[in-house]
Amino acid sequence: MSAIFNHWLTQNALVIGSFALVFFLLRAGARNERWQRAWVRLKCDRTGLIALGIICVYLLVGALEMLRVPNGGGPTRSIIDVLTASIAPEKTYSAPLADELLASPLHEKTVGRHLLGTDVLGKDVFVETLKACRTALIIGGLTTAIYIPLGALLGILAGYFRRWVDDVIQYIYSTLASIPEILLLVAILLVLGKGLGTMALALGITGWVGLCRLIRGETMRQSERPYIAAARALGQTHWKIVIHHLLPNVMHLVLISAVLGFSNIVLAEAILSYLGVGAPVGTASWGAMIDSGRTELSRDPFVWWNISAATVALFGLVLALNLLGDALRRAFDPKRG
Amino acid sequence: MLESREADLNARPPRSRFSHIADVLNLFRISDFGFRIFAVGLVLLLVACDNDPNPPPYHKTRADGSPWAVRYAALPGDPKALDPQFAYDVTAQRALEPVYDRLLDYHPMKTDPFELIPGMLEEIPKREDHADGKVSYLCKLKRNIPFHDDPCFPGGKGREVVAGDVFYAFQRITDPKVESPFYAPLSQNVVGMEEARAAATAKTGKFDYATPIAGFEVIDSHTFRVHLKGSYPQLLYWFALHTCSPMAREAVEYYDGLKHDGEVRPSIKFHTVGHGPFRMKTYVEKLHIRYERIEGYRTNVFPSDGFPPEKAEWLRQFAGKPLPLYDELRLAILPETIPAFVLGRQGYMDGITANKDAFAAVMSISRELTPKYRERGMSLELSGTPSTFFMSFNMEDPVVGKNPKLRQALSRAYDSLTYCEIFYSGVAPVSEQLLPRGLFGYDPNYKNPNGYDFEKAKQLLAEAGYPNGRDAKTGQQLELTLEEPVSSNEQRQRAEYQQRAFEALGIKIKVNENTHARVVERLERGSYQIGSGTGWMADYPDAENYFFLFYSKNFPPAGANYCRYSRPEFDRTYEKMAVMENGPERLALIQRMNEMLAEDCPVIFEFSKAYYVVTPPWGKWTHNHPMMEGSFNKYHYVDPVLRARLRREWNRPVLWPLFALGALIAAGLAYAIRWNRKQNA
Amino acid sequence: MLSYLVRRLLYAVPILFGVILITFFLDNVMMTPNEKAGRVLGNKAVGKTREEWIRNRGLDLPMPTQFVRYVKKTVTLDFGTSWQTGREVRKIFLNGAGPSLLITVPGFFAAFTASLALALFQVFVRDSPLDRGLTIATVALMSIPTMVYVIFGQAVIALGLSYFPAYGFSYGGFGMVRFLLLPVAIFIMINLGYNTRLYRAIFLEEIQQDYVRTALAKGLSGTRILTVHVFKNGLIALITLVVAQLPKLVLGSLLIESLFGIPGLGNVLVQAIQNADQPVVMASVILGSVLYITGLILTDICYALADPRIRLS
Repeated sequence: MSAIFNHWLTQNALVIGSFALVFFLLRAGARNERWQRAWVRLKCDRTGLIALGIICVYLLVGALEMLRVPNGGGPTRSIIDVLTASIAPEKTYSAPLADELLASPLHEKTVGRHLLGTDVLGKDVFVETLKACRTALIIGGLTTAIYIPLGALLGILAGYFRRWVDDVIQYIYSTLASIPEILLLVAILLVLGKGLGTMALALGITGWVGLCRLIRGETMRQSERPYIAAARALGQTHWKIVIHHLLPNVMHLVLISAVLGFSNIVLAEAILSYLGVGAPVGTASWGAMIDSGRTELSRDPFVWWNISAATVALFGLVLALNLLGDALRRAFDPKRG
Repeated sequence: MLESREADLNARPPRSRFSHIADVLNLFRISDFGFRIFAVGLVLLLVACDNDPNPPPYHKTRADGSPWAVRYAALPGDPKALDPQFAYDVTAQRALEPVYDRLLDYHPMKTDPFELIPGMLEEIPKREDHADGKVSYLCKLKRNIPFHDDPCFPGGKGREVVAGDVFYAFQRITDPKVESPFYAPLSQNVVGMEEARAAATAKTGKFDYATPIAGFEVIDSHTFRVHLKGSYPQLLYWFALHTCSPMAREAVEYYDGLKHDGEVRPSIKFHTVGHGPFRMKTYVEKLHIRYERIEGYRTNVFPSDGFPPEKAEWLRQFAGKPLPLYDELRLAILPETIPAFVLGRQGYMDGITANKDAFAAVMSISRELTPKYRERGMSLELSGTPSTFFMSFNMEDPVVGKNPKLRQALSRAYDSLTYCEIFYSGVAPVSEQLLPRGLFGYDPNYKNPNGYDFEKAKQLLAEAGYPNGRDAKTGQQLELTLEEPVSSNEQRQRAEYQQRAFEALGIKIKVNENTHARVVERLERGSYQIGSGTGWMADYPDAENYFFLFYSKNFPPAGANYCRYSRPEFDRTYEKMAVMENGPERLALIQRMNEMLAEDCPVIFEFSKAYYVVTPPWGKWTHNHPMMEGSFNKYHYVDPVLRARLRREWNRPVLWPLFALGALIAAGLAYAIRWNRKQNA
Repeated sequence: MLSYLVRRLLYAVPILFGVILITFFLDNVMMTPNEKAGRVLGNKAVGKTREEWIRNRGLDLPMPTQFVRYVKKTVTLDFGTSWQTGREVRKIFLNGAGPSLLITVPGFFAAFTASLALALFQVFVRDSPLDRGLTIATVALMSIPTMVYVIFGQAVIALGLSYFPAYGFSYGGFGMVRFLLLPVAIFIMINLGYNTRLYRAIFLEEIQQDYVRTALAKGLSGTRILTVHVFKNGLIALITLVVAQLPKLVLGSLLIESLFGIPGLGNVLVQAIQNADQPVVMASVILGSVLYITGLILTDICYALADPRIRLS
């Protein structure tokens, strides 16, 4: 079973499948009239478009790292590995474009020059920064995939059915929200072991509360609208009302929350790295690079390239996501520009 | 619907209506309060512009008018307890040893090999061998050592330390309520401790302190004799630890953690009533512990021999002087290494220890102090901790446990030297053998027979049945699991280094990351293949304290034989070696045991811990002794006048960025006003 | 009002029970008793010492018995002593709340005021290049990880420019201020971006309201409307939003406290989690949920005060 799962073809299929799924979902959403109007408005929003473009670049880099190709008999490599195969690893730190190692006792020449230098284990920082895109996207994507359906569905159910359904759902999220998030995260990661999947699960379990509350409120407001009453009078089932009327009308909020939430998850990864429950060993991660910067900056000469590269890359993604989220909000709800 | 909203948007009033920026400023005048807060904040900011993190000292000058000298050092965390019979970690040792003197002490400057000197005892106890194989030690306490003044004593005046206080300490070790970790090793060797525990708790379950211990004989007020079941030379090393420090019964009974007369007294676990060179004056959790010197401390004086040659001349001036050499000690609690380091560079911390990344901060390529520090008159002192770190193989594992060639191949594939160069800037020495430097039995010329040799490693792997990392029979790639404690980024990098080192052989290494506690638990249960991050720091400098890690009766949970290494010949040799006094015969046994470990290769040796101490110009003498983490403090020296001057010089704030920031804000405001005017025009 | 409070408090009971149940469960799956003993006593204390430690704390009892004891202790607010440091949990919390509040309260109010000023300024110059620039700047402030703020602050402001100590704390006295300024400044920076964006949106929404148009039609000056009416109404909307965050300030800021070595509750919690210090973790969770529920109640009361149509019942 795990042999099949770990096979490179299965993994590639999964990656392509999830990209296709996101695309399909967006297309499905775009059939909605409101979404079409929003799209027209978004097309005129320069900031939003630039942000969208930047995110696409990140997605592309992440996809290149996610797709794997076979490598003779050895372990499979990602496309980025193949593209950067000519960059030889060093023994340890070297400054950007330097030809000499940094660590004091070694004092050796480097094998090659590196655009952004190398890190403590001699890995090229530029390549690592690109590779870490995958980590950020996987954590962000998986977490979103977990908490968005959960939060949206429970929110709609609570807002639509009210009474005991609402009470139960409110009880669950109040309980979850009142436990310090950090305890839940660390505990879940300690129990399930480290890994990108478990990290996403932990973040997802703690993350759906806010969305649920938002959707619940919006659903309540929508439920009082005449069109819901009309649908009820026409004898439509609850299920149909939820799927055909309520869901399309709150979906834009879900989209905006997903985009903004994604940025929070990317930032949260950095904190988890500091707490020692970050990305697993051997996985490139911006959080880990920033955390290592704490000690690297006190070296002499100080190692600034590792933390800077990671900070800039992370900043770019989070900024673009936030700007896109704002642009989407403006597009869907022009009154609140 | 939507159109009408957009119409709303268009119908928004023209901007010229919002006419005067002064009106907006009015907004802030709505409350004078806001302005006042702003003004107070500004003043605070200007006054608080000082980067000194240390609290003001207790006094400015001594009674005779000379300047008050303070030493600032760091602790890595809060001590778990300050009870000498309970505490068993380095942090606690550092915190409580300035207060509690020990029966014996280490010579502060003789570290290779370590040497014991009398502490509270008049001389090093003489071994007495008896006909029945039993051994005893006769000990004499120094006269006129007082306990520190404390309300627990009648009249608040500390009484003299007597032999009964040492006996009381032994009773406390025996008392199960104290949960003393020293009971296990001591009760195995001291006559009558086990019986005393059984007898004293038989009646009520509570330990009855009237019960005698057969092996502890109080002869007169200052003399006692300890009887051992057999030869156990390590007892003297226990005497040199806080474990056997005399305890005042009055103090333990007074500080019970209960309410008396409306006031809660602290428990003896966190209150010290000692007899050492310092008194603990303030302890604020997670912040600092502050000590003040005891006037008239006489138990120990500065030594007059054994000075390291390069500092001998300077040190001679202190020979025979009363201790301590300064008045106040502040141990800041700093869990992170870098802040300590930063504070040291600024002159706010004495004798900072540089490790890992900090090595690179202080050392130039030629392993000298970098100019930045040299200019400040600082110097480097190398210090080592008798410790050996290694990766353990599970000897009961069907794959690695039954295949010595495979273990040797892995050991030879691991490049400890590069590891030390990358992670310890080459300062930490590679371990070639189980014993670290400074212990009897350490052989500086011994080379690890399983040391790094990649070609040999590949050859051994083929001989082990895995040519190029693949099973010779099935062709399957060999996959091994490596247990790694990962709770910080450093450990994460280390794990990756180790994984890559083994994978170079063509095998697959699955890294199993966990917290340190979980890794130890897995090692104890024996559910692992290769365990990383294991090692041993010497409790006392004796070979027995290391080789017992491979004694088959020390399988967890009884001991720390995590490898589950069991070889009858090794056990026999160990049993003989353990109880022997140092000498050529013992050396031969140790060499034989080294050979056995090399043959079976249950561990991959990595390194010994070593670090640099950066010495500020006003300290000159911050050398540390690894076996006396806390008690060494009394030998340090501080020049308060020089420090005050240099600190001021090094910490002048740079002011131009503040002006630049102000200018930037002003420019922004000016722009806003202009833009507003243009809109209005 | 009174019946509302009583009902709300009754409602809190099942939540607290759920919280205790979850925490108890997590605590038990997180570490085995043996692991806990190893964590507290150190690796060198093996065998009998650990067994004794486990027995003394009742960790060898059956789960239901342990749970009942756990609930009993929580209900009587008897959290006992910390396993790690042996100190009274109550005292640990009393000692930790001060430093936490010293960072969060000034930080919170300063961030609130600064964001308010910035947001108003943005509304005032709305749609100008400056507004757009500030919007992007506020988003940028939000997009920098806290770690980077702290690392930058310590490396440049504390070490490079020697304005403040890079690390440490001191209780009481005027000397304390210097330890607080940098952490508080970072606390402000972290919250400034998000707050400003939120407040700006609220004020913009307020501007769209009918009464603004009516006032304009009546010939009132735009600036006056902004500074008096919009400001006042917007502020009420803001305060109802903000008040839910107030109780949580007690818990402090986790990253800032542990990176600056401030002995606050955030620091306490991180160390307690890492050291499996069950009594301390339990107490912080209970405290956290009580504060959370208080926040909810405060928000409701604020809504009722702000809008006379809403009545607490």
